[in-house]
Amino acid sequence: MDDHLVGVLSNIGMISFIALSAYLLLIVGEISFGQQAFFAISAYASGIATAMWGWDFWPGLAWGTAVAAAAAVLVGIPTLRIRGLYFSIATLAFAEMVRLVFEVFKYQVEIDGEMVGPDGSDGFRDIRYIFENDITAVEYMLMIYGLLAAVLCAFFLLERSRLGSIFRMIGQDPVLAEMQGIDVTAYKILALGLAGLVAGIGGGLYAHLTTFVEPKIFNVMLGVHSLAYGLIGGLGTAFGPLIGVAIDIGFLESIRAISGYRMIAFGGLVAVLLIFRPRGLLDEAAVNWIRLRLRRRHA
Amino acid sequence: MVSRAFACLVLASTIAWTGVPAAAERAKAQVVCTPADRKLVYECEIMLMGRKSGAPLEGAKLVVGADMPSMPLAHNVKPVTASPGGKPGMYTATIELEMHGEWALRLDVAGPTRDRLIHKIHFGASKGSSTDQGGRTNQMKK
Repeated sequence: MDDHLVGVLSNIGMISFIALSAYLLLIVGEISFGQQAFFAISAYASGIATAMWGWDFWPGLAWGTAVAAAAAVLVGIPTLRIRGLYFSIATLAFAEMVRLVFEVFKYQVEIDGEMVGPDGSDGFRDIRYIFENDITAVEYMLMIYGLLAAVLCAFFLLERSRLGSIFRMIGQDPVLAEMQGIDVTAYKILALGLAGLVAGIGGGLYAHLTTFVEPKIFNVMLGVHSLAYGLIGGLGTAFGPLIGVAIDIGFLESIRAISGYRMIAFGGLVAVLLIFRPRGLLDEAAVNWIRLRLRRRHA
Repeated sequence: MVSRAFACLVLASTIAWTGVPAAAERAKAQVVCTPADRKLVYECEIMLMGRKSGAPLEGAKLVVGADMPSMPLAHNVKPVTASPGGKPGMYTATIELEMHGEWALRLDVAGPTRDRLIHKIHFGASKGSSTDQGGRTNQMKK
């Protein structure tokens, strides 16, 4: 397979995690501009584990993901008592705070005569696990998609469970959910923790694929994109954000001929989509229609 | 529900992977990029060598790509395969940027060793020098 195609597909897979993370919060009715923070925390934490502490990839990824999820819960406890726009601003402020912390975060150790580790604004180089262990680009892409399939399975199970119904209920009407005896804040904190975990998986994978992370990568643009994926692809199913990612990265790749104007064309496409499909391509109505058709076919 | 959960478990368990350590010497590079005749097009000369031995790395397949760290995934350069240059370890590649600013040049080395080197270079319309705060030798000649 062509190296460039493998790179593009790997990017689509990796970014799908942060898109799913933002989607989970959209389901519970919260708009987060800060999912890139958890992506970044896991990228650094898992990179430190494998490149500096010599951990294996899977424990390193699990560690990064756990740290991201814990950070999300810690952020959720004070911020989820505020709602709507205030919550969105709070998540944005947190993400910027995380980025600025990484701008000054220096922690390096000497490995084989080279200094390895986060070096403030210069970033964190040499997260070389996949090169040291001779994992090819195709193998790593398959690992990304294997994990993505597992996360998607978890999403589908969640959406058919009582917890998923509670999340949707809170997203539709939190006051009504509270009147039904549901602890809205507790469930939102749980959703934020799970969203941090999902973003964390993507962050760990990203760091090991690129071998290099720096604070600038995790700026607000990544957060806005992650939110846009759900809004473009649709909020009716977990496939929605994935469609959003495929449209974003796929569309940008397909119009390389107009290189300098690609983002303008993309912005226009997003605007048109949101005018005609305000809840995305695969919104709840579209998903229900597809389910009905499938049931009729099987009946 | 149970069958779906089982299918998910099976899928997750197939993901586990164990790697085989590679022993080849790591690479390092010196990069010099010069503006070409066309706007935003740069000719890059890349000197590849062994990180410890300093010996020129010949016969490598070098693929050069670039990403703009401040705009992740939005602005990147389609990777190009570098051609061997005039002397041992020297490779040249032409890259076309989308805009000026700081770019992270991604050098994927295959052949005698497999490595990925990242070099941050500031490509400016008026600036004649570049920076890589990691201490690598990178230049953008005017």
